[in-house]
Amino acid sequence: MSEQFVSVLDWVAILCILAGALLSFVAAVGLIRFPDLLSRMHTAAKPQVLGMLLVLLGIGLRIMPVEETGVFDFGTLVLVGLFQIVTVPVAGHIAARVGYRTGRIRHDLVVTDELEERLEAKRRAVRDRPPGEGTS
Amino acid sequence: MNDLKTRRGRGLNALRRRLGKVQIPVALGMTLVWMLLFKGFEPRPESLGIALLGFLVSAAIMMVFPLPPIVPGFRFWPVQCVRLFCHVLGKMVVASFQVTAQVFRPGPPVRSSVVAVQMRTDSDLMLVCTAIAASVIPGSVIVEVAQPEHILYVHMLGAESDAEAQESKQIILTLEERIVRALGTRKDITDLEAATAAGKENA
Repeated sequence: MSEQFVSVLDWVAILCILAGALLSFVAAVGLIRFPDLLSRMHTAAKPQVLGMLLVLLGIGLRIMPVEETGVFDFGTLVLVGLFQIVTVPVAGHIAARVGYRTGRIRHDLVVTDELEERLEAKRRAVRDRPPGEGTS
Repeated sequence: MNDLKTRRGRGLNALRRRLGKVQIPVALGMTLVWMLLFKGFEPRPESLGIALLGFLVSAAIMMVFPLPPIVPGFRFWPVQCVRLFCHVLGKMVVASFQVTAQVFRPGPPVRSSVVAVQMRTDSDLMLVCTAIAASVIPGSVIVEVAQPEHILYVHMLGAESDAEAQESKQIILTLEERIVRALGTRKDITDLEAATAAGKENA
């Protein structure tokens, strides 16, 4: 590949990595600025997904002209991205669910809450059930 | 002597049952991951061996840790898959900027809502895919999943009024439609279309 093309690739890669790092920085600021657990989950799990993808893309562009790094190649980067995308939601969901169920939610910040209605109905059903019946 | 023979027969039966647990599509997927890990896509003589070894390893894993098959399964619609990919990527970029704006917005803390979204298909796989896609897109977190009823409870950041909550519900429904059209079976797609038509009549 020509010298010029490589340097263009380098610049694009640098921009990608920089943008990714900025998004991760935003996530960190959000962690501090947001008021409650659920909104913090958003920044903890999210901008950093796009940020990570951008960083991976940057690394990919960076190593493309210099093959044979020996340690990892494009396939490894694809795998890292794929598994991050598939596993991040699971962790986020568990944290959000536990936070919600244990009441670590500031209800004054939640405008419409359709889950609360459902949980309340469920609780009422359990309470109204005559004692002695098994819980399902 | 006879005892040994029956025991061997039982062992063979068990082995056959275990072999039945191997799902070929899943094994192929795992082989793909294996080949990505070991640079199996370069044109060199070892690649074939890597593929073969990967397939054997994934078959062995599935025999040792058998999992139930994915019902009712899925199928790829290539054009729609590309559309889904672009949709999610676009949403991700736009929503990242929105969340960034919310992070740096001065004033009182941002408010949000939890909305219930009724899925329009019966497929668990579609439910999971929608949940993952919704989680990857900034601004929405899945709080709770009601599995038999197929309802997703989504926490939408920055939906500060009832109207905005309805809007965000629509976002999740659009996402579901894209996913079902890209990965759903024919039955899923007809289910979706029927539900959409019924919903429009109600509105």
